[in-house]
Amino acid sequence: MSMDKEELFQERLNRYTTALKGGKPDKVPIRLQLSEFMAAYAGIKLQDIYYDLDKNNEAVDKILTDFDLDVCGGAPSLWWAGLHDAVGAKYLKFAGRELEENRQFQYVEQEYMKADDYDAFIADPTKWILEAYLPRIHEEFAEPGSYRANLALIKGTAAMMMANGSAQQAAAHWAKDFGMPGSISGISKAPFDTLGDTLRGLKGIMMDLRKRPDKVLAATEMLVGHNIFYGMATAGGDTTLPCFMPLHRGSFPFLNPTQWDTFYWPSLKAVIEGMWKLGKQTMFYAEGNWTPYLEAIAELPAHSIVFHVDQTDMAKAKEVLGGRFCLSGNVPNTLLAYGKPAEVKEYVKRLLHDYAADGAFIIDSAGVMQTDVKAENVFALIEAAREFGTY
Amino acid sequence: MATLTDELASAIAELEDEKVLDLVQTRLDSGTSPLEIVGNLQQGMTEVGMRFEAGTYFLSELVMCGEIMKDAMNILEPRLAGADQKHRGSIVIGTVKGDVHDLGKNIVVMLLKGAGYNVIDLGIDVPGEKFIEAIRANGAPLVGMSVLLTACQEGMKGIIEEIRAAGLDTRVVIGGNYVDESVRDYVKADYFAHNASDAVKIADGIFVH
Repeated sequence: MSMDKEELFQERLNRYTTALKGGKPDKVPIRLQLSEFMAAYAGIKLQDIYYDLDKNNEAVDKILTDFDLDVCGGAPSLWWAGLHDAVGAKYLKFAGRELEENRQFQYVEQEYMKADDYDAFIADPTKWILEAYLPRIHEEFAEPGSYRANLALIKGTAAMMMANGSAQQAAAHWAKDFGMPGSISGISKAPFDTLGDTLRGLKGIMMDLRKRPDKVLAATEMLVGHNIFYGMATAGGDTTLPCFMPLHRGSFPFLNPTQWDTFYWPSLKAVIEGMWKLGKQTMFYAEGNWTPYLEAIAELPAHSIVFHVDQTDMAKAKEVLGGRFCLSGNVPNTLLAYGKPAEVKEYVKRLLHDYAADGAFIIDSAGVMQTDVKAENVFALIEAAREFGTY
Repeated sequence: MATLTDELASAIAELEDEKVLDLVQTRLDSGTSPLEIVGNLQQGMTEVGMRFEAGTYFLSELVMCGEIMKDAMNILEPRLAGADQKHRGSIVIGTVKGDVHDLGKNIVVMLLKGAGYNVIDLGIDVPGEKFIEAIRANGAPLVGMSVLLTACQEGMKGIIEEIRAAGLDTRVVIGGNYVDESVRDYVKADYFAHNASDAVKIADGIFVH
């Protein structure tokens, strides 16, 4: 790393981690979940982003050349579609295969775990995943133990190594050549979301709350240890950056207050506290509206999370969580897509004036950006963040 | 909350699934007309919608109600064939092309049906021509479009343009997580719904005339 890039890297990382820990850096750090927007900006089709690891990383190079960010959340595609094709994944659809060449990937939600799978899942989740779940969601793995299934395991593992290797090399390249640190390390979930997102699905989990509440509780309790481990393992043990935790079914108004207090919160709290004991902060990526739950969230250990505001009431979040946790957010995605640069600047100015004065604030879009976002509005966001966000 | 005097309507509102199915079967066996039973179920669903709007019910209760209704209608539908089902008007609904998210849309469909509308649900990934075909076939004065992925909002605009180009003046209501005034104005829809009960209110406003 050249000296100036090394200095730049340290300066940005310090700015970001100072805010994460509740402090006041020299400037409000800029972290943007640019996602598929990066592909659109770089003029790369989405099918290429999903299927070609190099192009996926190239999109980031173009962004880092043109935009003044403090941290980078990685490449636009989270998944390598080739890996999923190699094992015949039935739960994902990608541009260039099932979808048109420039469509965002889709997750096909179904009850991949059945109601009567609970006991086996709780008793030995790894065994159940290997013997029941993976065969259901992968064509190539339909008959575990068969020649085809064994090859699928080899192909899947090799592809995973290639994808991870590519991501690691890319992160090193962005650090060395752009002085750009990452924004997160590792990923985990709320145990209720692990169960409700990809195993039981929304309908399944909502029915379970009434039909078999004890099983839901037992499964979420069992997942606590797993999700702590997963967060730490996917971070490679790093504790400098927070663990990304996209939160779904706990947003308002999915669950009634009793359900939230009973089924969603205790196990999520245990995961966050478990990681915090290991020195790992959680990026509480609260998708949707979490306003009614701010008081409960405030009970977490100080600085154990960074609370990301999407549609949560920012004023209430500041009132209840301010001083205790760093906040991030919340330039509306519709403003970035349909607003004018002057409107974006005005929003950012007011946001920073009202909520960033004491530090412990990171500017970001409210939700993950997609191809509808206009580049001139992203430039306006950054320009205003630098103009009004220097302490 | 309204007081529901009918036992079946009340069982739906309280989400007592087994009781609902028992009552549907018992009433059918005792000769009650299937249409009358549907009417009672709708009364209960309207109450569920009102409780959601009042903030005492949440999405978990709406999903549960939808499942109970599905089971009840499975018993009733074979008996309804040929029956002259009265409804308050036809509404075409679907998730727009490019998007496969339908959880929100399904809840809206349930509440609209509960409110007595004839809902033509086109499912997910629906292109403009399918919307147009269904609007024409049913003479629907209102069409609902759902979109979760913000990148598919552009496509929604195109679909609305196609509907207008086909000479249809059907009102268009849109809904989805990141849908607000700015999206409504951009795609040139007539209304946006922030949640499922908004959608019913918008429909009620249109069909009252």
